[in-house]
Amino acid sequence: MKHRLITRKQLNELLDRLAQEVCLYAPVRDKTGTSWAEIRRADEACLDEVNTVEPAKGFVFPRCEVLLRFDPQGNPVEPEPPPQQVVFGIRPCDARGIAFLVKFYTQEGRTDPYVRARREKTTLIGVACTRTAPTCFCLGVGGSPQGSEGLDLLLVELGEELLAEPVTEKGERLVADLPPAEEKHLTAAEEQRKKVEAEISLRIDTRKLQELLPGLYDTPLWQTLALTCVNCGACTFLCPTCHCFDVTDETVRGRTVRCRVWDSCQFALYSRHASGHNPRHDPASRYRNRIMDKFYYTVEQAGMVSCVGCGRCIISCPAGIDIRQTVGTVQNSKCKLKNEK
Amino acid sequence: MNNPYLPVPMRIEKVVIENDARDLKTFDLAFVNESDWQNFKFLPGQFAFLSIPGAGEAPFGIASAPHEPLVKFTVKRVGVFTTALHELEPGATVGMRGPWGNFYPFELMQGKDVVIVSGGFSFTTLRATIAHLLLPENRKNYGRILAIYGARSPGELLYKEELKEWEKRSDLELVLCVDRLNGASWPQREGLVPNVLKAVAPKGENAIALVCGPPVMLRYTHPVLEELGFAPENVFLSLENRMKCGIGKCGHCNVGPKYVCKDGPVFSYAQLLKLPPEY
Ligand SMILES: Cc1cc2nc3c(=O)[nH]c(=O)nc-3n(C[C@H](O)[C@H](O)[C@H](O)COP(=O)(O)OP(=O)(O)OC[C@H]3O[C@@H](n4cnc5c(N)ncnc54)[C@H](O)[C@@H]3O)c2cc1C
Ligand code: FES
Repeated sequence: MKHRLITRKQLNELLDRLAQEVCLYAPVRDKTGTSWAEIRRADEACLDEVNTVEPAKGFVFPRCEVLLRFDPQGNPVEPEPPPQQVVFGIRPCDARGIAFLVKFYTQEGRTDPYVRARREKTTLIGVACTRTAPTCFCLGVGGSPQGSEGLDLLLVELGEELLAEPVTEKGERLVADLPPAEEKHLTAAEEQRKKVEAEISLRIDTRKLQELLPGLYDTPLWQTLALTCVNCGACTFLCPTCHCFDVTDETVRGRTVRCRVWDSCQFALYSRHASGHNPRHDPASRYRNRIMDKFYYTVEQAGMVSCVGCGRCIISCPAGIDIRQTVGTVQNSKCKLKNEK
Repeated sequence: MNNPYLPVPMRIEKVVIENDARDLKTFDLAFVNESDWQNFKFLPGQFAFLSIPGAGEAPFGIASAPHEPLVKFTVKRVGVFTTALHELEPGATVGMRGPWGNFYPFELMQGKDVVIVSGGFSFTTLRATIAHLLLPENRKNYGRILAIYGARSPGELLYKEELKEWEKRSDLELVLCVDRLNGASWPQREGLVPNVLKAVAPKGENAIALVCGPPVMLRYTHPVLEELGFAPENVFLSLENRMKCGIGKCGHCNVGPKYVCKDGPVFSYAQLLKLPPEY
């Protein structure tokens, strides 16, 4: 699909039009930075922050979602299909998170019809990063500040104009009438990519990690790494790829709905059997599960590392735990373990 | 599209109180819709979620065999859902979704002896297995069938009437045991399941063992099976991790990279040796 050029004015017109036709979401300014909200006009969108406080995963996997309603006779009724929505201003790391979720939820075997329907009804317009935060490390886990994975359309800001890279048919339709980009625009975007990528020095050898982690299940390292972890679950709720949920029935004024809500493997009750037995009863085993899941388990399950390097878990951790340090320690531990023997 | 979270309606046909403590009940369910019955294809070892609006849902092993007309579940009252279920009587409707998970290795078992070892109320899917294997068209495909089943006391054994019938059969060796007989005349043996297994001592050659029970029983049963010559790839266990979805999405039931709901609940001991002990 051809790269196109769109001016800021044209982009605003496009967004204003979309806001009339469908639900349009974008980052908007709030007390904590920016957060996702429905907008009516293009100028409500705010791209000043490197990223939103919360990831964009809720657009395909909402924090709380009705799976079924029960009619007065107790018969289950499926909810209405989700509405068409356009998400503007999603960053490449979060788009990769959505790509992971969609793959995990819709791969062979049992497909989750809710995630699938939401992704089908959603158009994702990404905006590439022109700068990074100190906690960003997308490049270290195979992403890029200009990555387009998971998106329908990627925009790269080049001053008063933006380079538009359609990724899917859906994205192509949005920009089909615009003039093609010229060589100089592609070059400018490429230079910008290199400049932003140069701000990220961390590299994680995810292949090596995958090889190491199965052998590191029993290392005492986890106790040390998780020493300060309070198992609050903030890292998992803010993670663009964490997919765990609980299913619960809620009855309000005699009407019952069955919903699913985000859950976290960091909680003790998460894995507790009805008998009281808990295979991951100690906090360190739950911390280990999170790291193993990101860099080993999901590779086996869905063929993807499930850390996109957004850095939210680092920002939000009340105990100051940094996943980059954990991974670094784990990567170097093999030699230590060997020496110990 | 076919929605895996949508339960189908089942009518409770029969409720049996199984034990003296009255916290174990067996529910025999009939499909309300003929078409749901046609679509319900399973093999013993698989499980399903039962659902009650407002009380939620929970997973249970299917205790009936595929040829049996009603779908059977034996449920221990432990919490919110199971208490709500225990209050229901014949005629009431519950939801069911499934079958989920894999089943016991019936193909691998063909032509071999089958040794079933079970303790406590997790006998459910093994009851289904025995009923399935005893069907004449299946029975001829297997060698000796030995089942060792134990409970704390005689009153805690499930399916007592059926067990008494099965004890009379010549094509099944049923060994029942209880931790303490307390003067009762039935069953005939006193002792813990692993010890009884050791005493009965079935040969591990050309045999498959199916094991289901509480974690302690599993821990002490392995060494005995090993001694008897059962190779790890010929011993199968059924796991019961906490579950919320049954289809490998909610995350709850993982044992390392495997999901018990999707990759299990039946695993060979050889498979489990390669996984972290998170069950
Ligand atoms: C594959 C599989 C097959 C199974 N087969 C069977 C079967 O055949 N028969 C059977 O009886 N069971 C079976 N189980 C177990 C069964 O699923 C559970 O017993 C059931 O989910 C319990 O649901 P509940 O709502 O009644 O219990 P819950 O309300 O979830 O409570 C379970 C236990 O947790 C405690 N608890 C709950 N909430 C809290 C809290 N907030 N803090 C502290 N403690 C709490 C309760 O006191 C209780 O002891 C199976 C499980 C699996 C995974
Ligand atoms: S029960 Fe949800 S993943 Fe297994």
